[in-house]
Amino acid sequence: MTTYTICVFTENTIGILNKITTILTRRRINIESLTVSETERKGISRFTIVIRHESRDAVEKLVRQIRKVIEVLAVFGYLNNDIVYNEIALFKISTPIGAKPLDIETINKVYKAWVVYWHLTYVIIQKTGTEEEIFEFFDYIKPHEILEFVRSGRVAVSKSPQTLVDYLPEAEWEYYQ
Amino acid sequence: MEFNENQTQTILVAEPKVSIDKPELINGSHALIRSLIEEDVETIFGYPGGAIMPVYDAIYDYQDQINHILVRHEQGAAHAAEGFARMTGKVGVCLVTSGPGATNMVTGIADAIIDSTPMVCVIGQVAAHLLGTDAFQETDVIGITIPITKWNYQITRADEIPEIMAKAFYIAKSGRPGPVLIDITKNAQQELMSKSYSYKKCESLISYRPRLAPKQHQVEAAAKLINEAKRPFLFVGHGVQIANAEQELLAFIEKTDVPAASTLLGLSSVSVDHPNYVGWLGMHGNYGTNVLTNQCDVIIAIGMRFDDRVTGDLTRYAKQAKVVHIEIDPAEIDKIVKADAPVVGDAKKALEMLLPLLKENRHEAWRAEFKKFDVIEYEKITKPELAPTTEKIKMAEVIRKLSDKTKGEAVIVADVGQHQMMTARYYEFKKPNSFITSGGLGTMGFALPAAFGAKVGAPEREVVAMIGDGCFQMTIQELGTIAQSGLPVKIIILNNNFLGMVRQWQQLFHQKRYSFVELQNPDFITIAKGFGIDGHTCGSREELNESLDKMLASDKPYLLEVLVEKEENVFPMVPTGACVADIRLE
Repeated sequence: MTTYTICVFTENTIGILNKITTILTRRRINIESLTVSETERKGISRFTIVIRHESRDAVEKLVRQIRKVIEVLAVFGYLNNDIVYNEIALFKISTPIGAKPLDIETINKVYKAWVVYWHLTYVIIQKTGTEEEIFEFFDYIKPHEILEFVRSGRVAVSKSPQTLVDYLPEAEWEYYQ
Repeated sequence: MEFNENQTQTILVAEPKVSIDKPELINGSHALIRSLIEEDVETIFGYPGGAIMPVYDAIYDYQDQINHILVRHEQGAAHAAEGFARMTGKVGVCLVTSGPGATNMVTGIADAIIDSTPMVCVIGQVAAHLLGTDAFQETDVIGITIPITKWNYQITRADEIPEIMAKAFYIAKSGRPGPVLIDITKNAQQELMSKSYSYKKCESLISYRPRLAPKQHQVEAAAKLINEAKRPFLFVGHGVQIANAEQELLAFIEKTDVPAASTLLGLSSVSVDHPNYVGWLGMHGNYGTNVLTNQCDVIIAIGMRFDDRVTGDLTRYAKQAKVVHIEIDPAEIDKIVKADAPVVGDAKKALEMLLPLLKENRHEAWRAEFKKFDVIEYEKITKPELAPTTEKIKMAEVIRKLSDKTKGEAVIVADVGQHQMMTARYYEFKKPNSFITSGGLGTMGFALPAAFGAKVGAPEREVVAMIGDGCFQMTIQELGTIAQSGLPVKIIILNNNFLGMVRQWQQLFHQKRYSFVELQNPDFITIAKGFGIDGHTCGSREELNESLDKMLASDKPYLLEVLVEKEENVFPMVPTGACVADIRLE
């Protein structure tokens, strides 16, 4: 199984998520993670879909099927080497009186994670990084009681110097100021 | 509505008729109908209901410009629109209500997308403020039809209508055609537009840019393969007819002298009389075309998608051949069969670009190989079927007689099953654009409404629906639509009192365990007469000629029921999962 990251650029209208996910569902491809947000261009959304698949051929076909959705401007399929990618995770860690204190220095310096909220009985730690880095930190922090753990979908940008405009030169999009 | 001086002036320049006191503001329903007129829509197939009533009220005012045909079931509207679209190349238009009206369309929409048929379905919806409340006849038709439409969109404001309708028609008919569904909430139909109505046809979209002219380097690579081929084999798909590329195709065939076979939906694009025509492909296609698929060196596939009914077992399909794939939909390239020379573009444009690069060639010896198989097929199958000694009539006889009597120039609309395959085998198509059937989806009940739609689209042509007794009962109510229109659609029921194709499979692959395939049929002629359509039953070979003559001579709709042999099988046959070269003759 290889991990593929599929970046889909679409018009930002109602129902596009459904139009894209149904293409994966029909082919029985599970979505490992999915992130959607508006891009630097007004009205253009960017989907980052992470899937695992054993056949590159099947992923290429999938990309071409997603491109057929009318509102889709462009689709790119990437291997991990082609992209810079990250996720964000939040950990709610129990800190009752008398508990083993958190080693903030290790958390900061070794794991590049930050305490972003303090409460009398817990703290919230934010960790960004790849899936592997987040789970390394998960293992480290596990001895403290993890009250809640949540991880975002992957966000990714390609290492290629080309941008969407290079693929769709005639498109006139409003840039955010 | 108030105008300041500036605005008024602008409007006056754009539309001189608009007066300052009374700017012409129309409601959404009128805007919708005017949009249809702008798109040169002459015929709508529809069925009214609560959520589409404002539009029906508007149509009342435009009856001199738009012909609305009232079907008897929304599925009938969808198939009639498909028949119309396949016949004319224009966009078929349906108008139905929300909820059940919309869900009844689903089969037709699914049929249209898989057979690349341009269609715009306008569907009523509950008012926008009721969306998501489980209102009466509310259904999430956008959600339901996402996987089976080329595009769908929900209009909730009257102002959106002209632009969205223009987009709908552009998407439906450009590139690889397909169905577009527009869901219009009732408030959008009723409310006045906030600005004066104007319409601009859509000519391009940023996110959707079908490629018409292929890239030159792709055409050159294809030409090289074709020029060097020793045993080239041309597959003619539906795309040729959609692109109106029959003339270019003919020029291609004549220059390269390639043998040409057709897919099911490609039938009639090349006349059976053409010396290079070698038959059709696939599960019930011809003997030679299937076997020699695995002996050619270059396949030139135009506007086809290597359906599993064409390829059989893919691991043993044409492995020796290089493939030139001319296709407008890039997602079809390499989807099933890897293309050595893909050419993404419109079939007509691609052939135009390809022709000057091709060498004059001759392939007599290679083409003669098909003849050898034809002789075997004729002796084993065709001859006994056309001149049977059985007591009961065989389907093949009926179809070939019809073919002779109509000189191979009628429009044949076949339903789905044995009679469909027999029609494809035995009707000798001599005129392009003459065969309409449900290929990809295999929708039983397609033919009766589709034949009607085809006749509406081409009233000057003889249109004959070939239908099985099972299929007929799926959309039998459309006899009412045909009767009300008075259009002389000719209907032949090949009645074997069986769901014949399923029975054939049960005989061949399930040890004759005939599980729910025998039908106790009604008296079809009495039913037709109840609808006001004349007809008669033909039960013996001696009456067949006279019966067909009587049907063809009628200037009204006519139903001919032919009682055929009950347990006939369609051969040749490539059983599911078998290799094309292992096609069975018995």
